[in-house]
Amino acid sequence: MPEPILVAEDFSYTYPDAPHRALGNISLELEAGSFTLLAGESGSGKSTLLRAACGLVPHFHGGEASGEFTVGGMSIRDHGPGDLSEVCGTLFQDPESQVVMGGVRAEIALGLEHRGESPAAVARAVEEAALALGIGQLLARRTDTLSGGELQRVALAAALAHRPRLLLLDEPTSQLDPVAGDELIWLLRRLNEEWGTTVLLSEHRLERCLPAADRVLALDGGRIACDAAPADFLAWAAEVRPPLATPAARLFSLAGLRPLPASVKQAKAALRDAGIELEPQPEPRAEPGRRRKRAPAALELRGVWHEIENGPAILRGVDVRVEPGELVALMGRNGAGKSTLLKHAKGLLEPTRGSVKTSGEVALLLQNPGDYLIHEHAREEAGEAGLVSAGLDGRGDADPRDLSGGERQRLALEVVLSGENAPAVVCLDEPTRGMDRSRKEALALRLHELAQGGAAVIVATHDPEFAANLAERVLLMGEGELIADGPVDEVLAGGWYFATEVARVLGGAAGALTPEQGAAVLARELVS
Amino acid sequence: MSLVPVYRRRASALHAARAGVSATFCMALAFAPILYDNPIVLGSLLGAIVVAAAGAGVARDLRRWAVYAAGLALLVVIINPLVTSDGLTVIWRGGSFLGRRWDVTLEAVVYGAVAALRVLDVVLAFALMSVAVDPDELLRALRRISYRSALAAALTTRLVPVLARDASRKSEAARCRPEPPGRTTVARAAVAGSLERAVELAAALEVRGYSRARRPQVARRPWSRHDIRVLASALAIVALAVGAKLAGAGGFQAYPTTVVSAGTSELVLGVAFIALAAAPFLGASGRLGVARA
Repeated sequence: MPEPILVAEDFSYTYPDAPHRALGNISLELEAGSFTLLAGESGSGKSTLLRAACGLVPHFHGGEASGEFTVGGMSIRDHGPGDLSEVCGTLFQDPESQVVMGGVRAEIALGLEHRGESPAAVARAVEEAALALGIGQLLARRTDTLSGGELQRVALAAALAHRPRLLLLDEPTSQLDPVAGDELIWLLRRLNEEWGTTVLLSEHRLERCLPAADRVLALDGGRIACDAAPADFLAWAAEVRPPLATPAARLFSLAGLRPLPASVKQAKAALRDAGIELEPQPEPRAEPGRRRKRAPAALELRGVWHEIENGPAILRGVDVRVEPGELVALMGRNGAGKSTLLKHAKGLLEPTRGSVKTSGEVALLLQNPGDYLIHEHAREEAGEAGLVSAGLDGRGDADPRDLSGGERQRLALEVVLSGENAPAVVCLDEPTRGMDRSRKEALALRLHELAQGGAAVIVATHDPEFAANLAERVLLMGEGELIADGPVDEVLAGGWYFATEVARVLGGAAGALTPEQGAAVLARELVS
Repeated sequence: MSLVPVYRRRASALHAARAGVSATFCMALAFAPILYDNPIVLGSLLGAIVVAAAGAGVARDLRRWAVYAAGLALLVVIINPLVTSDGLTVIWRGGSFLGRRWDVTLEAVVYGAVAALRVLDVVLAFALMSVAVDPDELLRALRRISYRSALAAALTTRLVPVLARDASRKSEAARCRPEPPGRTTVARAAVAGSLERAVELAAALEVRGYSRARRPQVARRPWSRHDIRVLASALAIVALAVGAKLAGAGGFQAYPTTVVSAGTSELVLGVAFIALAAAPFLGASGRLGVARA
């Protein structure tokens, strides 16, 4: 049996001035060469555990620690992040905050130069790490010219260049679009299988990572709530902590099928074995411009073009009409023009051609809610009423920067909604990045309330599960144009990439998108 | 496009040469104006910098720097006549105040303009360095002298565009508030945000072994033709500047009356500076290097 690379024995930790322990009585052993997924809701202790494994806890953050925690045979009491970096490579959420140098080659080389490696060894390691991660073509680029996905790969290459035995990743895909996120997980799987690198990965979108993992650690309130193989974890989650179960697992659980699948492939195989053959949904037919017009629209874009001087057209003659009270998901890959469209709706940008009309105020929440929080106390941001709506009553004296990600977002939403008049249109740009399922459901609930109040709600998102739960209509964009516009079940059920996990399992049968809808379809099949 | 022009790798002899050599070339162009007051020589040095920027393909970037530098130069033109009343040709009598006379003389205005030209030369020479010399490579060399200072400088060059983007995002978010806050509030929030980013970056550096960092080993690289040409040009510029100064060329007297040496030697000196600045980019060898860079 391989030697464990990470051992924790009754380890507990409290951040400075924090009222509660962030980690409590953690005991675990991580086998060398394993791929372990850290699951848990926001604030459950996933990031703290990873920060302990790389030595930032307690050396960088301070606080009180008890118990034992060793990595590669080194106790984190006696060895700081510098020593532990010999054994582990670490990757955080935001690639912008971990890339240090201006050039890609220099960035990958930095850690090796810290170790005093010879120039020849550095050059070889940089070349190999870059080729292994498929970023050889980026070596001569400047880091400020890279996309988020490219930058995260560069950060991963920098973490891997010295060939660490243990790789620690804290929600590395949360800032990436789904394509870049899937590619990153695929790379991790390859590193684990081919190089034998031990992987400890924290992630909210478990359905993306479960097929690669051979063990899942679920944390709750800083304690290990479940430590099991993926299939057993899913059974536990479906029973004890449903927000942690993947959509496919919840579908099976609701339909009474066992065992719960860890991937779409497993789910399809299980359905075949159970003799369930479903009629697949034909490809999406919804085309733009077929909507019945009622007056007056909450938002109407007519032939809107956004052309950059000496650059490409970001929007190409977009026609969109959104009615009051309508819930719309705006989807499309990165660079399709979603954010630009929302900025036009708000009036932050002027169309180079075409017109934008609204029936009242437009509230826009951009991608980084922290950008809206500019005062020193939460109370000054949105007033007492706003704090109550954000679920932050009693936290008025808190510094907004000390709030959690979810709290910041709720507060920022109330900031943009705090005008004298209720907004006619509420736009949100990628609001679910890095959010756990419970928080997504809470956000969807709040947006439903706004729609019931008469506001048109438009959410730009890469998250088909969230779109399926929230929206009644989907606008799909590509290359600055509207390429599909229709009811959510019509657009997302028959899609290949823009589809929920349940739709992919069921092949879009009966337009089922959510586990509940899918379970109803399966129940009918099982009866017949 | 970023607010501040930053280094981008381009196909030019200056970009292809090693960073230490390219930096020496730019510093030679910054050093020469310090030796001279003569407006003909300073003007020719300005021309030399522009020629080098054009050869390196960064003329547009330099033009943006020139806009920033022009403000500073204008300030020098305005301030010099106010702080000195030397010179015989009074063009405006300001009367007595704070125990001194505040007359403005033609000589002080002219010398202010000359000083402004020198400021423009020096700023643009360093601007050329910032857009044509790889900061990572340069700072790697400096890390052998002072590791932490060099890394701090590397972080600064990396973070300037990141923080500029952060500030731009915050400003956009401020416009989305029902009552947009003032610029000061947004600027304060941007500064607080940059501190937050600095903490995250410090954590990232820690896990990459910063606390155990050793002095990097020297990389032995063969000298390319670009290294040799650019270094030769830099040394020639320094030698010419020092030699001509010792020989008495480029004379200039500011007070009590303005006297500018404008003979053959100044003309030759000016042309020589421009030719030397252009030299690394000229000829078949330079063009071949461009294609291969």
